[in-house]
Amino acid sequence: MSEKNASPVLETRHVWKDYHIAGENSLFAKTFHAVEDVSLTVKKGETFGIVGESGCGKSTMARLLMCLELPDDGEIYFQGQRIDRLPEHARRKLRPRFQMVFQDSGSSLNPRKRVQDILSEPMLYHKIGNGKQIDRRVEELLSMVGLPVEMKGRYPHEFSGGQRQRICIARALSLNPDVVVLDEPVSALDVSVQAQILNLLRELQERLGLTYVFIGHGLGAVHYISHRIAVMYMGRVVEVGTSDELFDHPAHPYTKALLDAAPAADADARFRPRTALKGEIDEHPIAGACPLYHRCPNAGKGCLSFSGEIEEIAPGHFTVCRKAWEE
Amino acid sequence: MGALLEINQLNIAFRQGKKLCPVASGVSFSVQPGEILCVVGESGSGKSITALSVLGLLSRQGKVTGGEILFDGRNLLSLSEEEMDRIRGVDIAMIFQDIMYSLNPVFTIGRQMTEGMRRHRGLSKEAAEKEAVTLLERTGIRDAKQVMKKYPHMLSGGMRQRVMIAMALACKPKLLIADEPTTALDVTIQYQIMELLRSLRDETGMAILLITHDIGVVAEMADRVVVMYAGQCVEEAPLRELLTHPAHAYTKALMQAVPGLHDDRSRRLYSIPGYVPQEYGEMTGCRFAPRCPYGAECPEKREEGMREIAPGHLSRCAYKGGVKDE
Repeated sequence: MSEKNASPVLETRHVWKDYHIAGENSLFAKTFHAVEDVSLTVKKGETFGIVGESGCGKSTMARLLMCLELPDDGEIYFQGQRIDRLPEHARRKLRPRFQMVFQDSGSSLNPRKRVQDILSEPMLYHKIGNGKQIDRRVEELLSMVGLPVEMKGRYPHEFSGGQRQRICIARALSLNPDVVVLDEPVSALDVSVQAQILNLLRELQERLGLTYVFIGHGLGAVHYISHRIAVMYMGRVVEVGTSDELFDHPAHPYTKALLDAAPAADADARFRPRTALKGEIDEHPIAGACPLYHRCPNAGKGCLSFSGEIEEIAPGHFTVCRKAWEE
Repeated sequence: MGALLEINQLNIAFRQGKKLCPVASGVSFSVQPGEILCVVGESGSGKSITALSVLGLLSRQGKVTGGEILFDGRNLLSLSEEEMDRIRGVDIAMIFQDIMYSLNPVFTIGRQMTEGMRRHRGLSKEAAEKEAVTLLERTGIRDAKQVMKKYPHMLSGGMRQRVMIAMALACKPKLLIADEPTTALDVTIQYQIMELLRSLRDETGMAILLITHDIGVVAEMADRVVVMYAGQCVEEAPLRELLTHPAHAYTKALMQAVPGLHDDRSRRLYSIPGYVPQEYGEMTGCRFAPRCPYGAECPEKREEGMREIAPGHLSRCAYKGGVKDE
């Protein structure tokens, strides 16, 4: 696994995505910035984690990286080629090289199709291989994700949640992608099964040289699987760093609070000192101020002007918090 | 001091077609007054069903097939629906994971908050409203008067859970049953709600029976812990004892399978092979045996029942006679 000096596979530059929320009439209609000015670089062979709470824009980010949604502003590059402005038929040709796995394995598998049909559909669609080759590939995929080959004739509902997630992973791998975007792949699973899936993802990465973008809210899981992590809050990336650096030396108050809030399986956990945030996400932030201004324990006057610039505070460790720049 | 809630050898089964599928077998534990007892287990362990049966809230397919549930010395299972009504929401209150569906979307928060107080305690509308505002404020809602006028969809998940907690407190319950109260919330909000529940326990002295799948939440909240697997209690111990000397192979595995925030990332994550059994009516002997890392070495796969291995520490594990190792 190369963490350094690897070439970027996926890149976003100043990406914005707005959603328009319809109201009773035009007066009540609102625009919601789901993603604001996000620039990220995902390198070859790494796992890039994105964490944040619900509504922070992490799933929108996943959909943007896959071009399932197109950005309102900014650019998205896949292996150096700009993909957000490609016509759909040209992007479709690139699709086999970047694939996605969703959180809800139950609803992302067609209940009326057998596993073998689910797994062979991408190959049929992209006209890869003949019948025999596809059959062989389906069996290979099943054994790759640790499912018995005899199960290929079964329907999705005959599997448990963990097994279904294995099928989703197998489907994503069926076209030999370079990048797999995983949107909360283990969040819906029991902890004992979560560990199985995380181990499987790691094995597959080593074997196939895959690049992952791993979206999650379970901090332990994201830390375990990712080489680098971006923390998102209210549509912005507030901090980026290598997993260990970010978790051991968090610089942004939001990252600190997020880490401190995560319950730890330790009898003394409840007594540790913690950074706590006040209140909840502010839907009407002060224009021009840091989005965390209302909740931040060390907000000062300077925080009322927020440029959105992200600065390097240690090698490879970036944050938008101006207080952290000064330290 | 006698136990506030005592569950003895409770069996619950669900009707599936013509046969009854057991979902909880021989579940026994007790909650002391003022105590926070956490029941932890994965999906299908029977933890929620056990909690629902305490309040007689099992769906029509569910049926208690044996055992007793003693609350303040009275067997809740022998009470009539009317008598249960006087306990439900009054002496025992419950909050749920599904904050979306636990509040009625067509009534204001104020209307829903006061309903219980007016019904169970005969308060006037004004008195109930005044008290509702106090309760909301106690759960950390700042502009309680405004919130009273709002509808559930206008509130965030964290606020809705606070409202649920305030409603649960309305009749000053002796026992609060909380079924995964923070699972649907973000971690920073989860932390706020955990703090709130702990401080409310300290102030009011009510006991809390907390159902969760997250061993981290257990560590933050529990005084004592019951671990459930496949419809059975497999281990019971005070918190510190359980975390430092887990005795059952399942408890150990569960703790190791959770990646910590500062763990060495290069090591392979410990995982429990296989899946939680979907049906265990036919299973004899240790239900964890097929997935147990000691399965092969374990001398006795037969059912041993819970045994006390240290004061207050019970385990069902037969491996090495259930003794604590490490």
